[in-house]
Amino acid sequence: MRIPVLFAVFLLSPLTLGQIAPEVLTVETLPEPGPNWFLGKTWSGGAHIFDAHSGEMMGMVSLAKNAPTLIANPDKREIYAAESYMTRETRGTRTDIVAIYDYDNLRTVAEIEVPNHIARLPVKRHLGLLNNGRHLAVLNMNPGHSVSIVDVEDRIFVDEISTPSCAVIMPVAENDFLQVCGDGTLQLIQLDLSGFQQNRERSTVFFNVIDDPVFDRVARSADGWILPTHGGMIYEVSTDDDEILIGEGWSLIAEGEESWRPGGDEFISAHQELGLLYVAMHEGSVDTHHQYGDEIWLYDLETRQRLHRHALEVPVRSLMVTQESNPKLIVSDEAGGTQVFDAVSFKHERSIETPASVHFEDF
Amino acid sequence: MNLEKIVDQTFYWIDENARRSAMALSQKLSRRNFLSRLGMLITGAAAFPLLPVKRAFSQSAVQEVGDPQSCDYWRYCALSGFLCTCCGGSNTSCPPGSQPSPIAWVGTCHNPADGRDYLMSYNDCCGKTECNRCECHNTEGDRPLYFNSNSNTVYWCFGTEDTSYHCTVSMVLGTAD
Repeated sequence: MRIPVLFAVFLLSPLTLGQIAPEVLTVETLPEPGPNWFLGKTWSGGAHIFDAHSGEMMGMVSLAKNAPTLIANPDKREIYAAESYMTRETRGTRTDIVAIYDYDNLRTVAEIEVPNHIARLPVKRHLGLLNNGRHLAVLNMNPGHSVSIVDVEDRIFVDEISTPSCAVIMPVAENDFLQVCGDGTLQLIQLDLSGFQQNRERSTVFFNVIDDPVFDRVARSADGWILPTHGGMIYEVSTDDDEILIGEGWSLIAEGEESWRPGGDEFISAHQELGLLYVAMHEGSVDTHHQYGDEIWLYDLETRQRLHRHALEVPVRSLMVTQESNPKLIVSDEAGGTQVFDAVSFKHERSIETPASVHFEDF
Repeated sequence: MNLEKIVDQTFYWIDENARRSAMALSQKLSRRNFLSRLGMLITGAAAFPLLPVKRAFSQSAVQEVGDPQSCDYWRYCALSGFLCTCCGGSNTSCPPGSQPSPIAWVGTCHNPADGRDYLMSYNDCCGKTECNRCECHNTEGDRPLYFNSNSNTVYWCFGTEDTSYHCTVSMVLGTAD
């Protein structure tokens, strides 16, 4: 008798509960990245993934505090980050790793221990992907400079290369990277296919670190890198095998504009195919190189002519132009907001509410 | 007992003690050891005036005006971080329980009180979470990360047991002129 009654209650229960099927909790997977998706790296840890077209947040990568940055590798559908952890957050044993995150779930799929020397500063060019995405170069500071090379395909640490007084990682050719050095030169490190140093070259002196230093913030160009100085000079550099090529410097600042200077955090970016250079500028004296920009100046890299000056209501901290044919200019402002502009017309398209981004990366 | 006898006995006591001490040392130490220590003493005495601490000791305290808890204070011309003067420390001491970093970045600041330029050492105090009080970001003479002795962007918690950043002190090393 008891069993048939229970069975009847079971059958009738949807009716008595109001005919609504209970909702089921699921977890999203990341859809296929669209054009103009980008990563906003925060100071305190994570990186948010946004679609610049819709302004929607698509997901987040959790990172250790002070992780320098992260790099997406679309071919392998992986994201690489250099991270440093203490067992008791502010104390205890330190462990530095390169973490690998997958695209679908944005979760850690591998960790590779590296020497506990990672430069724990949010700087965009403290990571570089080499050898067709096989080797990741990580900038160290202990406090002397070095670079750790990690094989992200075999998931192993390869080597630590000593690079005294040289910082910044600018990948060139297949397995090489350039660095800026304190004696006013560039350094070229060439790796073999396994990721070990094969050759090292040094350029001639082309700047003076006391009089007018090259920033440690640079922009990638179509065939090399664009290096700005505190005083507004631009040097376009590249390599030819083991030869370091440094173009003749030219100035962002025209006559009568001497009070203007470049500055901010990651304040310079270039669209490689269109040959457009975007620089945040402010009015200030010597040594105001960290001051956020009141304007964004746009240059044609081929003619070296300024195409546009765009004044901002809120000063710009960092900026990045996306590399698509319909590019967006992504701007992190002093108030902590993220602004999206059409990178050609400078039309303001949307504001995105975010935790303040220290810089952006392509996704 | 006359004065001459007292002086004689005092000298005898000094001589006797010196003799006994020398005998005891000679039994414990070799001649080479003694010479090496004597050499170190002479070399150390000659080098002492070259040390930066000598310059700091050689003058009386620096005359100062202003509020040490304000970012405009003259010592902070190249300081970036949280002022230890607001965090339970001072310009020459770390807050309780934090660890002073032995490695520092340097700057040259002008002291309006006496019109002189001073060489400053900015040392981070480490091993605790960020103090988050009196944040200051001055960039006089600041240089990029590849020239790190003059770079205030770096967290200078190197050589400490715990490497988290808490706050920054600013110590006078000497006059820059």
